[in-house]
Amino acid sequence: MNIWKRILAGGALCAVALGLASPALAETIRLGLMCPLTGKWASEGQDMKNIVSLLVDETNAAGGINGKKVELVVEDDAGDPRTAALAAQKLAGAGVVAVIGTYGSAVTEASQNIIAEAGLVHVGTGSTSIRLTEKGLPLFFRTCPRDDAQGAAAAAAIVKGGFKKVALLHDKSSYAKGLADESRKALEKAGVEIVFYDALTPGERDYTAILTKLKAAAPDVVFFTGYYPETGMLLRQKKEMGWDVPMMGGDAANHQDLVKIAGADAAKGYFFISPPLPQDMDTQEARHFLEAYKARYQSVPVSVWAVVAGDAYKVVEAALAAGKTDPEEMAEWLKQLKDMPGLTGKLGFDEKGDRVGEFYRSYMVDEQGKFILLPQK
Amino acid sequence: MEQFFQQLLNGLAVGGIYALVALGYTMVYGVLKLINFAHGDLFTIGAYLGLTLLVSCNLSGLLGPAAAVLAVFVMVGLLVAILGCLLERTAYRPLRKANRLSAVVSALGASIFFQNAVMLIYGARFYVYPDYLRPDFTVSLFGMAVPGVRLMVIAASVLLMLALWAFIQRTRTGAAIRAVAIDQGAARLMGINVNRVISLVFFIGPGLGGAAGLMVGIYYGQIDFTMGWSYGLKAFTAAILGGIGNIPGAMLGGLLLGVIEALAAGYIAIAWKDAIAFLVLILILIIRPTGILGERTADKL
Repeated sequence: MNIWKRILAGGALCAVALGLASPALAETIRLGLMCPLTGKWASEGQDMKNIVSLLVDETNAAGGINGKKVELVVEDDAGDPRTAALAAQKLAGAGVVAVIGTYGSAVTEASQNIIAEAGLVHVGTGSTSIRLTEKGLPLFFRTCPRDDAQGAAAAAAIVKGGFKKVALLHDKSSYAKGLADESRKALEKAGVEIVFYDALTPGERDYTAILTKLKAAAPDVVFFTGYYPETGMLLRQKKEMGWDVPMMGGDAANHQDLVKIAGADAAKGYFFISPPLPQDMDTQEARHFLEAYKARYQSVPVSVWAVVAGDAYKVVEAALAAGKTDPEEMAEWLKQLKDMPGLTGKLGFDEKGDRVGEFYRSYMVDEQGKFILLPQK
Repeated sequence: MEQFFQQLLNGLAVGGIYALVALGYTMVYGVLKLINFAHGDLFTIGAYLGLTLLVSCNLSGLLGPAAAVLAVFVMVGLLVAILGCLLERTAYRPLRKANRLSAVVSALGASIFFQNAVMLIYGARFYVYPDYLRPDFTVSLFGMAVPGVRLMVIAASVLLMLALWAFIQRTRTGAAIRAVAIDQGAARLMGINVNRVISLVFFIGPGLGGAAGLMVGIYYGQIDFTMGWSYGLKAFTAAILGGIGNIPGAMLGGLLLGVIEALAAGYIAIAWKDAIAFLVLILILIIRPTGILGERTADKL
């Protein structure tokens, strides 16, 4: 009896507390961010959180959106599809107006349907796999390019470099395999020979067996489509073998740690294609963002994927500022969006929710291990 | 043919590390019939401690690179060994009499604890060992240019394994360890301090694991807080391949696994490397369910 009374009393208290809390909540706009705060991609996720919370604080310091403060609800997806599904469910129940994130196509894919069923706008960030926007989900957008756009840009860079025999290597992730397949198609169309196509296991330390085999195929250039940790190890061990074939990569290589891992000596001459980082851009938004970021974190952003999360916040903020709080209306508004200035260039979406515009650029690593943006065309 | 030998050497270098880590699994299993899932994370801690000692304490500035590496080897080995003992006291000893499953859950918990502790202390970014620590010379072997550091990794792991083998087979303490592995109750009746022997096993195994972590750090340069997982998985596989509980088995299993992987990558397909390695494991376990050198349970270690 006693226990039941207590439970009832507790329940009543909770109800009162909730009742008191909910009017307070209505004064703020809750926005979901899903990112890998733990796990393999924790450094990406922590950057995503840093960047988006910096922008949210800026919005709030300027008086919020139409007088309402923005509250960021962050959920950790651990870079793992299973955890991502749970994180998405939590966000769907957290009363947010839209969800930003996350890093990794497979991880985003696991959360896509859950967020779609909750009827929320979902703006993907580091998720370039083609099929994410080919499913026809009306509320899904992304601020990163698609693999086929990147595949075409990569093939163009290879053709421009005058390479005739290409070795393609991916890491079995849906992102890297997608990019490798798209590049292969574009390269074959351009008449470039693919002398090698295989996949390595990410997270390992020793890639000498793979490099020994690659060397036997005698390519002009090695194109590894995976992420920067493995790229760094490949460069380092390639140098150790004394093999000086040029190596290139895609946008997942765009991370300063690549040079740390490989060593400046081994990384020299490595080139990759990627959307440019704010510190390489000369737009007003990029400069302003960079100053604010430096002031708070005493460093510069190291990965473009965290910055596109900032762009995702920018478009959601703009939609909310235009009064589009209903998800359907917001999606409609976003699909009309063109040439909005963002952190990584102009922002705009097409009917499928893909970002429009050309924004791949080539970078090369110089003697000091710095990423140098190569001049366009 | 040159490619074959090149791949063989690639495999031996990887396999040497697997073998060193596998020893920790196999020794603990031998005396406690427990899979110490936190072993891979002790390996990670070894790599991080090594970097901290080398860089923060500026040992290489004080002693010169070669002596510093040697000194750090000993220090990391000892520190991780002490951590291993503490782990046994806190996570395993209270559960010694409990259901075996409880100890396994405790081991998994310890693994998660260590991994996240490393992430919180050092952060989630990759750390990189300074380049000048790596011996930079090549040796000409049968007409192949082999990086000297790879030979040193193989040599160091073989030396450590031989030292352990001699210790287990030739000393009184080694005999005590073997006795505890065979029958704890009888060993206690013979006047062996079983608790001390178990502590010793948790001293040696993690010590070797930590040293392996340091070797990986120096050789491959890059360390991160999840590295223990993949090495732990492979080393565990190696221990089973050789016959878990059996020390020469762990050495053989580790080297064999490394070589199988390298040859599978070189001659079949890189993407299928792990699948082939595990296929070989399954085939060996079908023919010899106790592993290559595994014998009757009573003869473990």
